[in-house]
Amino acid sequence: MNIPHPIAAERKEPSASPARANARIRVQGLAKRYGALEVFRNVNVDVGDREIVAIVGPSGCGKTTLLRCIDGLIAPSSGKVEISGVEVTAPLPGVAMVFQQFGLFPWKTVFNNVAYGLRLAGASKAEIRERVPRFIKLVGLAGFEDAYPYQLSGGMQQRCGLARALAIEPSVLLMDEPFAAVDAQTREILQFELLRIWEVRPTSMVFVTHSIEEAVLMGHRVVVLKGRPAGVFEIIEVDLPHPRTRETLMHPHFAQLREHVWTTLMDEARAAELQLQR
Amino acid sequence: MRRGFESMLQDKSGLARYATYAVALAAGAIIWQLIASRTNPAFLASFTATIDAIAGMVQSGALGRALASSTLVYLTGLGAAIVVGISLGLLLARVRLLRVGLESYIMVLYATPMVALIPFIMSMMGFGFAPKALVVFLFAFFSILYNTVEGARSLKPEMLEVAQSFRSGEWGIWRDVLVPHTLPYSMTGIRQGIGRGLVGLVAGEFFLSGTGIGLLIMQSERDFDVPGLYGSILVVTILGVLLMGIGRALENRFTAWRGLNR
Repeated sequence: MNIPHPIAAERKEPSASPARANARIRVQGLAKRYGALEVFRNVNVDVGDREIVAIVGPSGCGKTTLLRCIDGLIAPSSGKVEISGVEVTAPLPGVAMVFQQFGLFPWKTVFNNVAYGLRLAGASKAEIRERVPRFIKLVGLAGFEDAYPYQLSGGMQQRCGLARALAIEPSVLLMDEPFAAVDAQTREILQFELLRIWEVRPTSMVFVTHSIEEAVLMGHRVVVLKGRPAGVFEIIEVDLPHPRTRETLMHPHFAQLREHVWTTLMDEARAAELQLQR
Repeated sequence: MRRGFESMLQDKSGLARYATYAVALAAGAIIWQLIASRTNPAFLASFTATIDAIAGMVQSGALGRALASSTLVYLTGLGAAIVVGISLGLLLARVRLLRVGLESYIMVLYATPMVALIPFIMSMMGFGFAPKALVVFLFAFFSILYNTVEGARSLKPEMLEVAQSFRSGEWGIWRDVLVPHTLPYSMTGIRQGIGRGLVGLVAGEFFLSGTGIGLLIMQSERDFDVPGLYGSILVVTILGVLLMGIGRALENRFTAWRGLNR
């Protein structure tokens, strides 16, 4: 049985996504297959300079794979990604990723974890001594420079992961469900911390999440990925005022947008459930 | 505030702990002495006679010469096992072709009791220094290799992704990720290898040409010098305990970041 839905009825084709004039990231016709398994196909998304684009979708829809293609960790099967006009074939300088499981090196102290990207980028010792404490302070970890990751809570570990990414002063930040592994309260705190930091140092950001609320709160636009293979189902403009703060959550329009994304996503989940019941 | 004896024992650096060790050892020596006084001295030398024998061996210089000769064999074999074991282990973990190619040989050799290889080594290499060092090497090598490979393979793929994402080269991956992650596992292998290498040393000195501490044991056995026999065995035992202690200290030193030994 087919369940028609007012929003699901007309699938807005990804090619209809408007090209941004000053796109920092340009994803064109991207597809990824593993043998017979097609993860996603024909994904077209542009991310403007200093724009946050949230990518939301059901688990297993390939959000994380898409993000790894954008970073250059995984080669796409077809299509291409350009960052600042350069085609991505391997991770580019000026692009930093924040990992879901934090990705800290447990054998390095907070200081050395934060310094990691800078060292690889060839920063001098003096630069490292000057910059690292600044970013440790920015994420609120001052005083923990010599701590090892096992001595930190999950939230603090992700602050460290964020400082490591920010320390190379990237023009593009790729966030892979960065707050999925911390408890709900910490998650909320970190969301507003990140928004605060973004106001201070705005970068282009791709923010992958499975939380609809988080997507609407963080994103200037929300990209809904769904289907099998997944594709861009809809791109929703989030016309909420800046800076985004706790008050944004109380905004009546926030609730509307959240509902909109919810129905867009859940329609398919419901259909899948009914299919199973049949 | 009064502290219970139990809690004093749990205190790792506490004096109580070492005092207890000392008392237990002293009690053991007394029991040994008592049993020996009621046993035929042809079977069991008393504690004091054993200590006397060791003192005699120290004075005559026999023990010093034996230890010097054994130490050289042991350190050569163990050193080679550590260097080859760790580097080959890391290479195996990182280079798939090498791993698949050598896996079956490693499995076969790991499963072979090394003592069984000693006659083969003798027929190939004779009785000199090198075959004995090779026996120590073979006894120690596989636990180091095996622990290193397993350790390196337990590295979470995410760690490599982080390195790649921050544009690390191959050398950087080894320096920042692979080696520091694997070292604690290698240390466990080294600690095991230290003990196994000692077994290899004595076995080599028994079955190849008699030298060093192994010769000391065999000579006293041949001469029915029971206290000398017990003395040289006790020296090997103490050596083993000391070496294991060094191994454990090394292991702890390299695993501080795991937060297991606070």
